[in-house]
Amino acid sequence: MTPAPTTLTASGLTLRYGGTRALDDVSLSLTRGVTGLLGPNGAGKTTLLRVLATAVPPDGGGFRALGHDPRTSAGRLALRRELGYLPQTPGFHPDFTAFEFVDYVAILKELTDRGARHREVRRVLEAVDLSEVRGKRIKRLSGGMRQRVALAAALVGDPGFLVLDEPTVGLDPEQRMRFRELVAEAGEGRTVLLSTHQTEDVAMLCHRVVVLAHGRVRFEGTPAELTARAAGRVWSSARRDPAARAGWRTGTGTFRNVGDPPEGADLLEPTLEDGYLLTLDGDSAAVTA
Amino acid sequence: MTWHVAEEDLRAYARGELAPPSLWSADTHLTACAQCRARLAGATEPAVLDAGWERLDAELDAPRPGPFERVLLRLGVADHTARLLTATPVLRRSWLLAVLSLLMMTVLVVRVADTPGLFLALAPLLPLAGVALSFGPSLDPTFEMAVVAPLHGFRLLMIRTVAVLTTGLVCNGLATLALPGYGLSALAWLLPALALTATGLALSARLGPVLAPALVGGGWLALLLVATTRADGHTPVPFTAAGQSAAAGLAALATVLLVQSRDRFDTGRAGHFAGGDLP
Repeated sequence: MTPAPTTLTASGLTLRYGGTRALDDVSLSLTRGVTGLLGPNGAGKTTLLRVLATAVPPDGGGFRALGHDPRTSAGRLALRRELGYLPQTPGFHPDFTAFEFVDYVAILKELTDRGARHREVRRVLEAVDLSEVRGKRIKRLSGGMRQRVALAAALVGDPGFLVLDEPTVGLDPEQRMRFRELVAEAGEGRTVLLSTHQTEDVAMLCHRVVVLAHGRVRFEGTPAELTARAAGRVWSSARRDPAARAGWRTGTGTFRNVGDPPEGADLLEPTLEDGYLLTLDGDSAAVTA
Repeated sequence: MTWHVAEEDLRAYARGELAPPSLWSADTHLTACAQCRARLAGATEPAVLDAGWERLDAELDAPRPGPFERVLLRLGVADHTARLLTATPVLRRSWLLAVLSLLMMTVLVVRVADTPGLFLALAPLLPLAGVALSFGPSLDPTFEMAVVAPLHGFRLLMIRTVAVLTTGLVCNGLATLALPGYGLSALAWLLPALALTATGLALSARLGPVLAPALVGGGWLALLLVATTRADGHTPVPFTAAGQSAAAGLAALATVLLVQSRDRFDTGRAGHFAGGDLP
């Protein structure tokens, strides 16, 4: 199988805030489809997304996305014309209706012709299944609906590069599932970078995954490769094994342990979460599967 | 129905050439008036008529402009620019009422105390504060989306600045009219207002949208304090001819510096996220 062409290449991205190194020599590449960005709180996920969305320039390093180099004004403008960005806490003008808000974002995206802009607004609201509530004020919409409004705004102009910062946080399971369906649809033919701290999001949606911790890339590969890092390192026991790096009681009453198993341990099939936990527990060097 | 769409407007509507706000009036009227719909059908080719119905259908979805937006449209502002301005927090009614109330109280104090000093000190600060509050993450909830949008950040800043500055100057102008006894000297706030606003914006490119206007506002008050102390019963220096000339020069210089640093408003380098909860 021919590998998918690379659509984004970042090299040596570094960014400091005061004395904190929010990004520390981050290099990665993306292809079309949904790539998950996993990491604990404070790992630098939002900072990386802000840099790749051109909201903040890095102190060092650079990247090219969809053939554009945002270090030049022409490259930045060209990339922004192909960018859809859903921030971690998307802000809304609360008195705007869903239609008015997406219309406003469409104007920011240079859609100045009123008729064409309104057609596009209707298209994206329909894509996220919000046509019925387009005239409702945003402050009257549920959290899940607001996230879909923000996704609709990100989809205006049919962008080739979509940056989504923890879009499933705060959603109930049904809303989360609906949102995953929408992201999966959005990922067809586009480069999507999805930041999350939920391994289920990655397992269900992503063809590639990047793990970030303390501003550094700890893993870059496929979800299967991340899962495989825990092969032979997950076992079951009647009590929590003190040798385990992580262990918890499961619904069956036994303990699931992750780490270096003792001789003769009852090994279990690893999950993506096991691989993720072990990756976070590893050394600080960047690892590529 | 007390009126019907004029024949000329109806033909322009059928051709898709009727411009807002007449277009919106025609849309609204046609949804309720069977007589005008029949006239429209009679005056139009079937294919054009279908396109018209589709457009009408779309119009029914489209947001109705609020009073402020309608005023802008009647003043000839393009519909997309008007919509950008409706999202400017300090142009909302509550903010404008607060500014007008503050000015009214100031005018009352000036009239009772018979000294224009308080008004001349306050009036330049209002446009500075209004412009400072019209961009940046503290009051614009969509700031982060706007930063990464292809619309140049400096252009958005200028659109909002012109609108807020104009509104602020009009409010101050109305207050000045309530102080006729002081003649032209009651207008001595104008050049300092332009100087403070331009300086605040120029410094925002490097110091961010909070620190820069705070420093400029504080500097203005400190200058007034020193000038009033040294005035010894005369007009404080900022309101003399020399002070006004200096204010004009500062406004021009700051404007040049602002234009030179325009790209910083487009790259996130203007300190907008410096105080954020990154990473």
